[in-house]
Amino acid sequence: MTPNRNGAASIEYPSELEILLTRDFEAPIELVFDVLTKQEHVRKWFAPFEHQMTVCSIDLRVGGNYHMVFVTEDGTECSFRGTYVEVEPPTRTVETWLFEGWPDAEAVETVDLHETDGVTKMNLRLAFRDKAGRDHMTKTDGFEDSTNKMADYVRSLLDSKGTVSG
Amino acid sequence: MARSSTTSDVFNAIAEAHRREILDVLITGEKAVGAIVNDLSMSQPQVSKHLRVLSDVGLVKCRADGRRRFYRLDHEHLRPLHDWLEKYEQSWNGRLDRMDGYLSDLQRKDRTQ
Repeated sequence: MTPNRNGAASIEYPSELEILLTRDFEAPIELVFDVLTKQEHVRKWFAPFEHQMTVCSIDLRVGGNYHMVFVTEDGTECSFRGTYVEVEPPTRTVETWLFEGWPDAEAVETVDLHETDGVTKMNLRLAFRDKAGRDHMTKTDGFEDSTNKMADYVRSLLDSKGTVSG
Repeated sequence: MARSSTTSDVFNAIAEAHRREILDVLITGEKAVGAIVNDLSMSQPQVSKHLRVLSDVGLVKCRADGRRRFYRLDHEHLRPLHDWLEKYEQSWNGRLDRMDGYLSDLQRKDRTQ
């Protein structure tokens, strides 16, 4: 898998594994925040085709829940749900993230926005934590350049026996 | 689909750095627990605890030879994880492209009003 210009990278910390996605949008920060958090907007871009989104419910406040369901081309239902932990318009949201499917995956998602000269940079981080060693969330700085270490890591494990990959 | 109590928390399993170290040690092949302990700066109880977690989520397999236990990577369980990560990234790249287009449309509409 080659990293593309849109910048996907991952960062490793002692008891957590992160996937980091970054993107620049030529739009003011308030608009980007709205497009990310209002269901009338989210419906328009979350799934490849609008009709594929069967559930899009967002209660944007600390303690509020969100739930997104869409159906893929082969009929598989993909469900994401969670609860907002932080809501700071227009710069940040932090929410729990549960993907119902295989594998069930539970993480904390952080979205940070920052505008410079009319361009809004979005950082979306998905952090998987060791449940046994759960600790307080820490702010993380510093973004790696675009290599997906988590996927590379797993691939290296797969390739170790000379298994055909891809 | 209800979330089962025996959820394969594979992601949480590899979120832990020491467990990743153990997986790395097993890249070259099957190893006895004692050999794993020697390779890493961890105590035997720690290694055993982590191996149990890795085994529970199916990332390693164990075979007993007399009193000794040998562990090896289970590539079958790694493949779906790898594929999932790839799909996740691809989905998001598509999503971000759509979001970009949508933002342009919204701003264009605003300007013509």
